[in-house]
Amino acid sequence: MSPMNRRSFLVGSVLFAGGAALAGCTSDPLNKNAGSVAGAKVTLQQWYHAYGESGTQQAVQRYAQEFTKANPDIAINVSWIAGDYETKLNSAMLTAEAPDLFELGDFRYQNVKNGLLAPLDDIVGPVKGDFSQAALDTVTVDGKIYGVKMIDDVMMLFYRKSALQAAGVQPPQTFAELLEATKKLNTGKQKGLYVGTDGVGEAATLLLWSSGADFFDSSGKKISFAAPEAVAAIAGLKQLHDSGGLLQGYPTDWSDPGAFANGATAMQWGGLWSLPDIKKSLADDFGVVAWPKFGDSGKQVARVGGWYQLANAKSKNLEAAKKFINWLWIQQADLQKEWCVKYGFHIPARKEVAAQTTEFSTGAAKEAVTISQSNGHSYSGLWNKASATLFLQAATKIANGQADPAAELGDAAKKAQAEVDKQLA
Amino acid sequence: MAVLTAPPPPAPVRAGRKPGALAKAPKYVLASVLALIFLLPFYIMLRNALMTRQQVSSPDWSWLPDPLSWVNFGDLFADPSVPMAHALGNSFLVAIVTAPVGTMLGSMAGYALARIDVPGRRAVFTYILVTLMIPQSVTFVPTFVVVGAMGGVNTEWGIIAPNLFSAFTVILFRNFYLRFPGEIEEAGRLDGLGYLGVYRRLVLPNSGSMLASLGALMFIESWNAFLWPLVIGQDPSSWTAQIALSTFLNAQQINLPALFAGALIIIAPLVAMFLLAQRFIVSGIAASGLKE
Amino acid sequence: MTATIEAPPATAAAPKTRRKRRDWRAIGAFAVLTGPMVIGLGLFKYVAIGWSFLLSFNDARGTISLGHWTGLTNYVFLLEDDAFRTSLTTIALFTVFIVPITFVASLALAVLINSIRRGRAFFRTVFLVPAAVSYVVAALVWKMALFNGLPSGVANVIGGLFGADPVPWLSQQNPPVYWVAVVTLRLWLQVGLYMILFLAGLQAISPTLYEAGELDGTSKWQAFRYITLPQLRNTSVAVLLLILIAAFQAFDEFYNLFSTGLAGTSTAPVKPPLVYLYDSALGDQNYGVGSAGAFVLTVIIIVITLLQGRIVGFGKKD
Repeated sequence: MSPMNRRSFLVGSVLFAGGAALAGCTSDPLNKNAGSVAGAKVTLQQWYHAYGESGTQQAVQRYAQEFTKANPDIAINVSWIAGDYETKLNSAMLTAEAPDLFELGDFRYQNVKNGLLAPLDDIVGPVKGDFSQAALDTVTVDGKIYGVKMIDDVMMLFYRKSALQAAGVQPPQTFAELLEATKKLNTGKQKGLYVGTDGVGEAATLLLWSSGADFFDSSGKKISFAAPEAVAAIAGLKQLHDSGGLLQGYPTDWSDPGAFANGATAMQWGGLWSLPDIKKSLADDFGVVAWPKFGDSGKQVARVGGWYQLANAKSKNLEAAKKFINWLWIQQADLQKEWCVKYGFHIPARKEVAAQTTEFSTGAAKEAVTISQSNGHSYSGLWNKASATLFLQAATKIANGQADPAAELGDAAKKAQAEVDKQLA
Repeated sequence: MAVLTAPPPPAPVRAGRKPGALAKAPKYVLASVLALIFLLPFYIMLRNALMTRQQVSSPDWSWLPDPLSWVNFGDLFADPSVPMAHALGNSFLVAIVTAPVGTMLGSMAGYALARIDVPGRRAVFTYILVTLMIPQSVTFVPTFVVVGAMGGVNTEWGIIAPNLFSAFTVILFRNFYLRFPGEIEEAGRLDGLGYLGVYRRLVLPNSGSMLASLGALMFIESWNAFLWPLVIGQDPSSWTAQIALSTFLNAQQINLPALFAGALIIIAPLVAMFLLAQRFIVSGIAASGLKE
Repeated sequence: MTATIEAPPATAAAPKTRRKRRDWRAIGAFAVLTGPMVIGLGLFKYVAIGWSFLLSFNDARGTISLGHWTGLTNYVFLLEDDAFRTSLTTIALFTVFIVPITFVASLALAVLINSIRRGRAFFRTVFLVPAAVSYVVAALVWKMALFNGLPSGVANVIGGLFGADPVPWLSQQNPPVYWVAVVTLRLWLQVGLYMILFLAGLQAISPTLYEAGELDGTSKWQAFRYITLPQLRNTSVAVLLLILIAAFQAFDEFYNLFSTGLAGTSTAPVKPPLVYLYDSALGDQNYGVGSAGAFVLTVIIIVITLLQGRIVGFGKKD
């Protein structure tokens, strides 16, 4: 062998050995085989999206293991998916490795239409009254219930009490007040409002809802976000951009409490899950309020999201999957409580369990529950990713003053309607 | 490619004035300033990897944080929802298979096309040449369709397989073997070796520099690949390091300093290659440009 | 120095014979050596394109099997969708920026490096080493540290020196300052590679040409224009084509610079065609449209390649 060849062979072998060693000593870092107990006849594949809070991944694995202890025939293999969970889930559902159980944050009508979801009436039926009507309606298609709500997440406006006092501003109840506050609270180092790193975030949706309009009209099948009052409200996004007080380009997005907790902004749209971190950084110097109403016929709104547990209709172990769902999300009240408040901060979906959770009895947390019950608003199952993309693209252009709101939204509405019609076809 | 390793012709004595050191100074100054600009991102990566989360998002500039938070490197691997170690292992696996195998396949086909005259050789060459026109990234949908049908979604081999076959590599090797000294093969034939024997025992060992160059380039391309592994990798077990990094760049709650630490670790093997094996990489690049 | 594809082999490997006797050993060896490549390319290129072409005429939502023939519906949808058309103009604009800037920058760097004697290897390494960084890592640094909206972001620090306020580079659209981030990212990553190509080209120019020029009294600039540039013709053509094809297939940096975890790339100020395709194929699970798009883009790239060959020549002369 020529000397050059020998050297490259050596370099290659070292790299190979290093790689093999690395791959070897981390051969089971995801604990993929943790669930497979000797003797288990069935192994279920379960997907979760990566919750931001630490301890959550170990918790779900522990729940799975406890279930297997009680039901030795069924083992559960948990996958923890970060990033664009929905896109990855959609791709996986095409393959043989589709999970038996999975969660979804936004219920999609399309999935029922494609025969991907198994009805769960036999599980939910007996305890129907214990869920909020909204939680049930979102996942009900043609009278059948397709998901079990695990947690309720409410998103609302966080504000810095001291900053508002210093500027002589009240927590905004109307859009005009919000705009005013954004301008007044802008002190250079600290901006007035943070809705997202791209300057849009959820603001367009909130403006729409706060005007009294919605994505769909009362029939639930016709797109209505291009109605006049909706257009007027969404045009407000541009006003926020022009105010000079909107924080943009911050390294973390609105779902992370960073901007608010670090004092980069006086107000931030955020989720209930951020409350513990904010409390740690700011103690009592913060409050929560719903997104202000737009115009006289509007109303204050907060988004209620959360996660549903669903079962894959094409799963080979559907009965086992349903058994697990029933065990964990209907029966194990203690584990549900623990899941909601020990690692993150979510409202338990079952009213009974929520009533027993003391963390929600005082302070900002209590207000959050009130906001979620009085002002809560959720997405419809027919509102899919494609429609959302069209809406957000239009909103982005409007926010930057690059398009006439009525024309842009009208155009987007037409295309979104095509999307909806395709689903209903 | 041979040009870079050939000694430069002797500089003839010039009749004009020789540029003095002073005239050269601006060039060095310019080059140095540009060098600093080019190295800036590396410095930023290092600095940010040693900051706390608050310092990274702070509105104030700092040249170096005090104290240095080395803990971020540990945090990167300790975080259970960031399978960085496993993803790095996947990257290694994919690159270490793709580079040698891809290079070998190119070398084999390139040699056959250059040195084995059989009827139909022209046709095979055209068949391979035509695929050059098919742009690699754009055709990720068709490739996904094929790999998906074969059950390769979410597997490492699904990431590896399409990248093993590169018409580009074949052409480079063909050019290389066209200029290969024929005496070696003749000697082999005199010894009674067949075509495969000549290839395996005489030609291949003497193709070292080309194999190393293209192997290095393939390794780099594989290590840095993003779109294809993104398309194929569904759950974390099949993510490569680039996908893991991208996922956490766009995650809901991010540990920014740990992310920068991750970035440093991801570029480390390639930077090491560039510093140690630069000669191969440079000649590989030069060869790629001269393929026409 | 330019190796042409058509060069005949240096020596004949197999005995030439006028008779039609087949050399089975040769054929066997040829088959073994080219077989894997032929099969692999057949599968991952020809079959892939073929199947995808067929798929583009089907309604393939959430499936990759052929079954619902819909004719040209997907193509019509694509060409009528102004998001797709906008993506084409985006990539055209991007190409118009990046190609000349990269070309000039890498040529300039090559000339600079070539004229330095001491430390040439050092500088060459410094300019080349960014190629070790992937687009993802670069996007991380660009998005979070260089071009973030904080006053401590490098771009804003520099802007601050000129008295400007901090700017959210990646989300602001009037003026569209995000182009600065996008172009500088690709430039930083790529300029070293093309510099190497130009360096090889420069070093291949015979010094006697320059000597003859000096005797004639040509200035440095004239020497550059009338000797260097023409001699670099082949390299320039190759570099231009490489930059162009690479720019057209841009994905990584756009995806990572402009994604938010929750909205994906919905709020991105610009989308190149590949991001659009990724969103339709894997985001919406619409493989019919994705295939149609892949086909349309492939045709465009082939046309560009052929056009460039016709206009500037494939560089085969010499």
